[in-house]
Amino acid sequence: MTVRPLGVEADAPTAGRTVTTSGWSRFWRKNGTGYAFLSPWLLGFFGLTIGPALISLYLSFTDFNLLQAPTLVGDANYVRIFTADPKFLQALRVTFFFVVFSVPAKLVFALLVALLLNRGLRGLPIYRAIFYLPSLLGASVAIAVLWRQLFAGDGLINKLLALIGITGPSWISNPRYALWTLVLLSVWQFGSPMIIFLAGLRQIPQDMYEAASIDGASRWRMFRSITLPLLTPVIFFNAVIQTIDAFKSFTPAFIISSGTGNPINSTLFYTLYLYQEAFGYFRMGYASALAWILLIIIAAFTGLSFLSSRFWVHYDS
Amino acid sequence: MSLRFDRRQFLLGSTALAAAGAVGLKPAFADDTNLRQIFWGSKARADRTTGVNDLFTKANPSDKIATEFYAWNDYWPKLATMTGGGNAPDIIQMDYRYIVEYANRQAIAPLDAFVGKELDLHDFDQDQVDGGKVGGKLYGVSLGANSVALIVNTAAFKEAGVPVPDNNTTFDDLIAAGAAFNKVGKMKVIQDASGVEPALENWLRQRGKALYTADGKLAFDAGDMTEWLNLWKKMRDAGICVSPDDQALDTGPLDQTMVVLGKAAITFANSNQLVAFQALMKDPVTITAFPRTAKGSKGGHYRKPSMFWSIAGQSKLGSDSAKYLSYFVNNIDANKVLGVERGIPASASVRTAIAPGLSAQDQVALNFVSNLGDLLGPIPPPPPSNAGEIDIDLMLKKSQEVAFGQQSPEDAGPDFIKQANDILARKG
Repeated sequence: MTVRPLGVEADAPTAGRTVTTSGWSRFWRKNGTGYAFLSPWLLGFFGLTIGPALISLYLSFTDFNLLQAPTLVGDANYVRIFTADPKFLQALRVTFFFVVFSVPAKLVFALLVALLLNRGLRGLPIYRAIFYLPSLLGASVAIAVLWRQLFAGDGLINKLLALIGITGPSWISNPRYALWTLVLLSVWQFGSPMIIFLAGLRQIPQDMYEAASIDGASRWRMFRSITLPLLTPVIFFNAVIQTIDAFKSFTPAFIISSGTGNPINSTLFYTLYLYQEAFGYFRMGYASALAWILLIIIAAFTGLSFLSSRFWVHYDS
Repeated sequence: MSLRFDRRQFLLGSTALAAAGAVGLKPAFADDTNLRQIFWGSKARADRTTGVNDLFTKANPSDKIATEFYAWNDYWPKLATMTGGGNAPDIIQMDYRYIVEYANRQAIAPLDAFVGKELDLHDFDQDQVDGGKVGGKLYGVSLGANSVALIVNTAAFKEAGVPVPDNNTTFDDLIAAGAAFNKVGKMKVIQDASGVEPALENWLRQRGKALYTADGKLAFDAGDMTEWLNLWKKMRDAGICVSPDDQALDTGPLDQTMVVLGKAAITFANSNQLVAFQALMKDPVTITAFPRTAKGSKGGHYRKPSMFWSIAGQSKLGSDSAKYLSYFVNNIDANKVLGVERGIPASASVRTAIAPGLSAQDQVALNFVSNLGDLLGPIPPPPPSNAGEIDIDLMLKKSQEVAFGQQSPEDAGPDFIKQANDILARKG
């Protein structure tokens, strides 16, 4: 038998061929319009996301300074990251600290505000908009200025503390506290999980509460036994999204420390370190390796969350 | 006559244009030279630069210049990306810190072939010509000389009743001024400059050392670093310089420096930044030399090219670009527009011609750089690759670790040398 190139089926049974072709054309007739409409996104996805990601995987095994062509160095970048890079460890420490404290605090705060807003208030859209406002500000220069005004040595927070006789440090520039000011900034921007919680709360059927109150359940009991269990899918969703966001967090530290991660690298977020390596020192290969390690860390955490969700997330069905 | 398109014509027209663009046809006018230029700097610098470009194109009607500018931090990634993509502009503003790297990688072109022809440097100060050389070849045309300088809040010194520092002031004089400043209680005498690389360099040079040797190794040792960190520890403990909490507020931009924040009367900076500092402050400021380590100690300062014009290695318009460079640094009218914003012009006749028209502060800067006297020493070789990481990152980190009490100067000195050598030895 001769070896034929794939796809050329000169003497294949005619019947089979007709089935494949008509299968394709049926598929195309049914879904073609949809894919045509999707094509801008697909182009972007393959051209701007998957393509560059694969190139960065290649670059992570090279030395690349942008000015000269990349040269392959095998696993040298990864070896250095894991054996000889104290800043990598520091960046991991800072990032984990940030994730561990900012995500739960933000979720609890967002849930509390959502519960308060879900009591049939008049003018709800206005409150919702006001509470969402900080999230819209994102991480801008305005926030950097505001945070300095609040948390510098002669800032507003210390002026308030002085009223009760406490002399505070310069929170934002002290290596012990600087990261905490960034955790606070993250918690303050609780708008998007709050909106999602609010939508989740709205979906809980009122008759359950009615039935519970007829049975004489206290408010706390209703929260524990009705609200929380029925809200777990939303909590899960928010937790996953916020964790990923926190791992990727970049701009707050970038604007507040002008990209330095100081004092003493105490706000050196992982992505900030990656940025410094790539665009401060032009070590694109090394930065690509850092990026892939972050991807794996985030994927691992997301995977763990999904595994754990079997034990605590209740879906209606 | 009014110009009108119907929809079909418009579509046809734009499709044709897009198609022409796709196959690389540009509607070009045969004799025009389209130069591209890129630089970092403020709006003020951009206005002056385009002012010169207008004069140049008026004198050379066939030359067109497309210009773009960025802030310092955005500039280098942008330029590196463009160069990597084979799309570098012809005329590139270059810094002393990067010129070796760009020259060694042929990202910028040697200019020796143009000198004496398109590029006229006969009137240039020799140190400014030499400052643009890498491995004996000329890679950058200096756009002006500057020097490190202290920015001094003169009102604060008057209020404290202490004479304003001048080119003879020593570290001990500043320490002696501490009591008077602390009595007023508004601000400290000086910022904490233990993490400021130019301050360390100046101090080392007065002791006959340097930051780097010509072959790119460290030119000082752990003992020097420990002594430097101890000098500042002493000043910190005695309340001469600002607290670590305050100093850490300074993350780089001028508006966060201790003198602008009103935390100290002196900040370490550059001679061409006087105008920029004054614009941010109500109190009057002036410039003077970095402190001497002892009475009569010499040679801490040097006049470095503040920045260069270089020509891209990929540029096909080398001789046209060289003609522009020559105009930029020699033409009197052009330099009247430029002033001393990029530094003190390197051509003697240009300096003489523009001096009378300068503002009072520009004159202060011009006089300072021209009259450094015995403070002036030879220009050091450009720093090696990776030296930027020592300046931006390691210096500051070690300084803060000592300031916040995490490490003693005795431990930090050797630690600094070890980590700096690691950084310098790193490839890529």
